[in-house]
Amino acid sequence: MTLTLALAGNPNCGKTTIFNALTGSHQHVGNWPGVTVERRSGFFPGPDGPVEVVDLPGTYSLSAQSEDERIAARFVADPAVDVIVNVLDASNLERNLYLTTQLLELRRPVVYALNMMDDAEKDGLKIDLPALEKLLGGPVIPTVGNREEGVQALREAILKVAKDPGSAPGGSVNYGHDLENELVKIEREIHRDEELARACPPRWLALQLLERAPAAAGPVELSHARKAITAQVQASLDFLEPHMGADGATLVAERRYGFSHGLVGEVLIRSLRTRMDLTARLDTVLTHRWLGIPIFIAIMIAVYSLTFVVGKIPQDWIAGGFNLLHAWAGDRLPPGELTSLLVDGIIPGVGAVVVFVPIIMLLMGCIAFLEDTGYMARAAFIMDRLMHLMGLHGKSFIPLIMGTGCNVPAVQATRTIEAREDRFITILVAPLMSCSARLQIYILIAGTFFRPVQAAFAILAMHFLGFALAMAMGKLLRLTLFRGANAPFVMELPPYRLPVLKSTLIHMWEKGSVFLSRAGTTILAGATLIWFLSHYPGISNRSWSEELHRQEAAVRTLNLAPAEETSRLDDLAMAHQSRVVNTSLAANIGKALQPALAPILDPDRSRPEAWKDSIALTAGFVAKEIVVSTMAVIHHTEAGDQVSDGGAGGLRAALRSRSGLTPLTALAFMVFTLIYTPCLGTVGMILKETRSLLWTGFSVVYGLGLAWLMAWFTILGGHALGFA
Amino acid sequence: MSHQQPKPLSDLHPGDEAQVFQVLAQGRIRQRLLEMGFIRGAHLKVEKLAPLGDPMELVIKGYHLSLRREESQCILVSEED
Repeated sequence: MTLTLALAGNPNCGKTTIFNALTGSHQHVGNWPGVTVERRSGFFPGPDGPVEVVDLPGTYSLSAQSEDERIAARFVADPAVDVIVNVLDASNLERNLYLTTQLLELRRPVVYALNMMDDAEKDGLKIDLPALEKLLGGPVIPTVGNREEGVQALREAILKVAKDPGSAPGGSVNYGHDLENELVKIEREIHRDEELARACPPRWLALQLLERAPAAAGPVELSHARKAITAQVQASLDFLEPHMGADGATLVAERRYGFSHGLVGEVLIRSLRTRMDLTARLDTVLTHRWLGIPIFIAIMIAVYSLTFVVGKIPQDWIAGGFNLLHAWAGDRLPPGELTSLLVDGIIPGVGAVVVFVPIIMLLMGCIAFLEDTGYMARAAFIMDRLMHLMGLHGKSFIPLIMGTGCNVPAVQATRTIEAREDRFITILVAPLMSCSARLQIYILIAGTFFRPVQAAFAILAMHFLGFALAMAMGKLLRLTLFRGANAPFVMELPPYRLPVLKSTLIHMWEKGSVFLSRAGTTILAGATLIWFLSHYPGISNRSWSEELHRQEAAVRTLNLAPAEETSRLDDLAMAHQSRVVNTSLAANIGKALQPALAPILDPDRSRPEAWKDSIALTAGFVAKEIVVSTMAVIHHTEAGDQVSDGGAGGLRAALRSRSGLTPLTALAFMVFTLIYTPCLGTVGMILKETRSLLWTGFSVVYGLGLAWLMAWFTILGGHALGFA
Repeated sequence: MSHQQPKPLSDLHPGDEAQVFQVLAQGRIRQRLLEMGFIRGAHLKVEKLAPLGDPMELVIKGYHLSLRREESQCILVSEED
């Protein structure tokens, strides 16, 4: 027989460290059915088989107002749960016990982990454990999660209670004479429907009805006794509310806090020693009126550098490794369609996925560190005013800023935002932040078509445009699709704490591996599809490949100097590739789409090669920087030294002479590439984070629409100002 | 200790202390505020405002909490001198 435990507690009570300490490395991360909230479970060995531990989302209550609370409320009431473990922050007992008052109503065995005992002791607090056990009616185990103290005792207490649930009878909250009377009346009506009474503990349901909790309305609505129940609830409220001068929800909350306040008064012994609060001292600096913002910016620069500057080193190794593999496989394998699938499709596709892992792990590590120290809440506190103007949350700022490095981890970083609406809006606008991959396109295009100073301005303008559009779209989404669902900004500023390295490392590892397994498959599938579109049918054209072989053989017989020979061979291969791509399905699609793109990329109908843009843009969907290498192929020049040399490389010359882009259409092209769609990696991540094909599709479609519109405005504006 | 006329929490300044008189917000926000400890008579102290002037940091029930102006103007408090 396996046991199932539910780990419940407030946010910031150290629940995750208790979970890690209980389960060690035996963990599994999934999602709760149908929602985007992570479900972490693990196990530890018990005498009769493994004991499953399910880590519930941290919540302040079970009133089911948010996604997190609904999950927690449903799971603790699930008959499959044998024991509830309620983690309490000993240094903040009164508010933590509010959730406990609700758990007690479920009449299930509860074991209490009185966590952060070290902090409480440093605060000069002493807790009378026997008295607390008596009042709560269950074992209370003092723990220090980050040092794994008390964890063995906690396991033993859990197993003991599981064997003999009677040993944890549970305390009870007294709601006072008037409320208790009415509760009994409502319970009586609930008992008319035995099925309902079995599914929901009647007293718990009655309390929720008095609170007018929307979650309670559902089960009652389905009951045959609903008329009697609703009538009794109404009668009770009609009596209580005028009589006691407040509405049902207030009355119930007051009694719960009354219980918790009284309990704390009985068990808490405050010694005379008061410490100079470390948190208060840190906050006088970190959220200071003048210093707060500069310090925040400095921390952001540090996180950004660690993620994207330090992270670039392993990224370069990975990219280099895949390039070697690509070259090696290309040389060893016989030319053909399967080889091309492997060499040009799968190897770069896998590379495109793996290359994100270092920055994902680093950024997630930084964010976990900021969260665990308590600074994340301060960052949100500092930035909320600005973000709120955009219809976003203070916690949206970090994902957006990180988006300028790479959108993929930026979308993942939105996990820190609790409210679903705030998170979704942030996910939808984050891809508008211009990332470093897009910078490569700007450098190529602006460097080719603008004078140096103009080019720098154009590139800077793209970044500002991205940010401005993110602001505008955030506000627009808040006013339209996410209207009315404004989650309250009631955010705890938890005490500063030293994070546990082990927790941070587990978190980084999880984020990296979950990305590979979930988003990775989407990205690889997309990369293979794009390979197919841009290589067929030309790649299976025998006569073309035979022609290439004949030409290559002819070059080899010339006995040229090795460097000359390689360059001639590369030229031939490139010409062949160019022929394949320019006749591919992607090229046909490009030609078909040309009328749609003409107003923005070819307003004067003067560019015979304008259809090639859409091939580059299609290929750029895999990763935006691929636009550059694709342009090299379709405009048939050496791709090797195009961008970095800054001079008029082959590609620049070719673009200038053949693409037919003017400075104005080049600018429109830049605007379009900024916005047109999140890249495949980002789309994979959006799908993973929203778990909704609809929203993922929406992010692609609105990107395309907005890109077209903005590029069109660019052309119109340019014409109005007299540019051609 | 003399209690004055109840006023919105958003009118308080850093350093001010008060007791919760009534939560005017409705629905989801009301429920959340009650759970976080904004019940009648609860003692609170305004700690500071964010560098950009909003939100507000306050101490209630022994912990620190931040509230936007939108929420804090829906809470009536009686100031304590």
